[in-house]
Amino acid sequence: MRIVITEDSVLLLDGLTRLLVAEGHTVTGYRSADELVAAFAHLGPHELPDVLVTDVRMPPTHTDEGLRAAVHLRSLHPGLPVLVLSQYVEQRYATELFAGDVRALGYVLKDRVADVDDFLDALGRVSGGGTVIDPEVVSQLLARTRGTGVDRLTAREREVLGLMAEGRSNGAIAEMLVVGTAAVEKHVTSILTKLDLAPDADDHRRVLAVLRWLEHAPTRGDGS
Amino acid sequence: MPSTAQHPASEGPPGSQPATPPEADTATPWATATADPSASAAEAAAKVDLETSPETSRLQDLSTVAPALAGGTALLRAPVDPATWRAVAQASIGFPWLLVTGILSTVLAALGIGLLPVFGLGALVLLVVLPAARGFARVERGRLLAQLGVLITPGPARTRPRLTSWRGLVAATTDRVAWGAVAYAAVAMLLVALEVVVAWSLGAVLALLLSPVLSWDDGPSVSQVALVAAGVVGPWVWAVATQALAVVHVRLARALLGLSRVSVEVRLAEAEAEQAREVAARAEQRADHLATTRTRAVGAADDDRRRIERDLHDGAQQRLVALGVELGTAKRAAATDPDAAAAALDHAHREIKETLSELRDLVRGIHPAVLTDRGLDAALSAIAARHPVPVTVEVPDPAALSAASPGAQAAAYFVTAEALTNSARHSGATRVHVVAGIGLGASGAVLRLEVVDDGRGGATASPGGGLDGLRSRVEALDGTFRLDSPAGRGTRIMVEVPCAS
Repeated sequence: MRIVITEDSVLLLDGLTRLLVAEGHTVTGYRSADELVAAFAHLGPHELPDVLVTDVRMPPTHTDEGLRAAVHLRSLHPGLPVLVLSQYVEQRYATELFAGDVRALGYVLKDRVADVDDFLDALGRVSGGGTVIDPEVVSQLLARTRGTGVDRLTAREREVLGLMAEGRSNGAIAEMLVVGTAAVEKHVTSILTKLDLAPDADDHRRVLAVLRWLEHAPTRGDGS
Repeated sequence: MPSTAQHPASEGPPGSQPATPPEADTATPWATATADPSASAAEAAAKVDLETSPETSRLQDLSTVAPALAGGTALLRAPVDPATWRAVAQASIGFPWLLVTGILSTVLAALGIGLLPVFGLGALVLLVVLPAARGFARVERGRLLAQLGVLITPGPARTRPRLTSWRGLVAATTDRVAWGAVAYAAVAMLLVALEVVVAWSLGAVLALLLSPVLSWDDGPSVSQVALVAAGVVGPWVWAVATQALAVVHVRLARALLGLSRVSVEVRLAEAEAEQAREVAARAEQRADHLATTRTRAVGAADDDRRRIERDLHDGAQQRLVALGVELGTAKRAAATDPDAAAAALDHAHREIKETLSELRDLVRGIHPAVLTDRGLDAALSAIAARHPVPVTVEVPDPAALSAASPGAQAAAYFVTAEALTNSARHSGATRVHVVAGIGLGASGAVLRLEVVDDGRGGATASPGGGLDGLRSRVEALDGTFRLDSPAGRGTRIMVEVPCAS
């Protein structure tokens, strides 16, 4: 894969590059969001990387220029796979990033790259058009749902809901929970019914629906 | 170590230093209450006398003018008491003076009133007589102060009359203070006549002693014995009467030449109100100062936290993530590519050592352990030793320095650290000198710190910068921060922080 990494810490950029090169990928590194956006300006539609990995906080202002660059490049190149690494997982960042399409988009805690297998897996899922949302973000979202329809879910169903929100497919969920796909499908149907969500076979639309629901977390009896 | 004069801590707690009360420099809040530019020194002094209430001034009159009335030894020595002789002198001088002024003022005032119906001509007379009466009152108060040692507080100063208006004219001709003086002149003229008669009667009393001898034929008659006895007791009677009349005179002067009792109380209240206003104003000033320094201190603390967060984020956190990647790579490569795994581990090892050293620096920047454990002296030596440019540290009295409050020591430490960092970064200095000691400031013991370098100067405490943060920190401790950095002539930072611990 052709991978572009934007990361202002030389050490980390270096480490990631060596890791990914050792895995047989082609890596281009940039050290600021401006450099990244400038480099993309010259790329033709067929020269786009297979996945863009970017840090959130970078020079010059050290706030969220990485995130803004990602959103900007996604608007220029719809469907460009982007994996955002963040030192802090903030639900607000996730909301901004996932405001549009959730396809080929990931948002994970930077620490996750130390779990090389998980990191490579996330990279693969995003470049393959999947959605990856850090469990931390999901648990932040779930934490806000006290007093909503989520209370009606069983413990297992809540677990499944979390994995759905992370962007896992039914197959992946079944594998992670060590149960059959049929059992997972049953849970999913039950969850969607309890939360008044339309059943949808499409993973992306399902992730989006779950995320929206969690973000707005309608309180019981709220009617909305 | 050079031994400059310093205050050793053993001299006593810094709080015990004699501090000038803040009220001292503004002790006469009523000094502006009566702005009469022509007021004499006696009147200025009399204003201070307001501190005493009318009751106490009456008692004082008795003890200064007529001590004999209180009885006791003062009564025994009444004939030779200075008070008696002061009263005699007062009466002797007062008689001709009050006779003339009394007649003049009575006649002229009567003339003024008498002429009022004649086209208001009397008003013109009064406009001259009344201010003159005020002048007379001033002289009379001065005379009583000089002769009897009695201070009489003058009534309200005369406001320049506006004769163009009817109201102004009425006010000028009904000036209470001036009419009081006229009344005093009339009554005092009669009183002083009595006083002088009594005062000079001593001669007659003494003559009684001799009277029987002149016609002593054959043994003293009853009436002759009585006369001699009267001559013996006479001086005491004379002295007491003289003193009593003097007190009556003083009372009269107080009633007619001084402030009325109500006015005295009003003035006292005004003075108190003025004092209260000043206290309130000072409190308000202090509150403003505290609010400002507090806001800036909070801001400086926020800046510090942001800087620490940034340091941790850009430093240790990134290093640890990179370390994680290295170790992950090593783990992954362990089975297939031992060489790659070893290289990654090597990387990781280096990384971890650098991370540790970075964390150590960062932690020291937050609060150095040596400052807590060994005090400012040791902490200053420690930063001096780490500094790339030679730094001399001068601490005349390390024990006193260690006794300063932790807040003051920490402030001094961070000022030094920041000053040294600035000096190394911007000044190109080749030598830095640091002096720290305990001194005596305006309100107790202070920790004095001075950091001087020989660099190119031109340093400023720009808002949000390190020096500005330190200034806020120092000011929040009620300290002072001075930066003296002329271009081309080095930088000198002087800090004083109150250090009562």
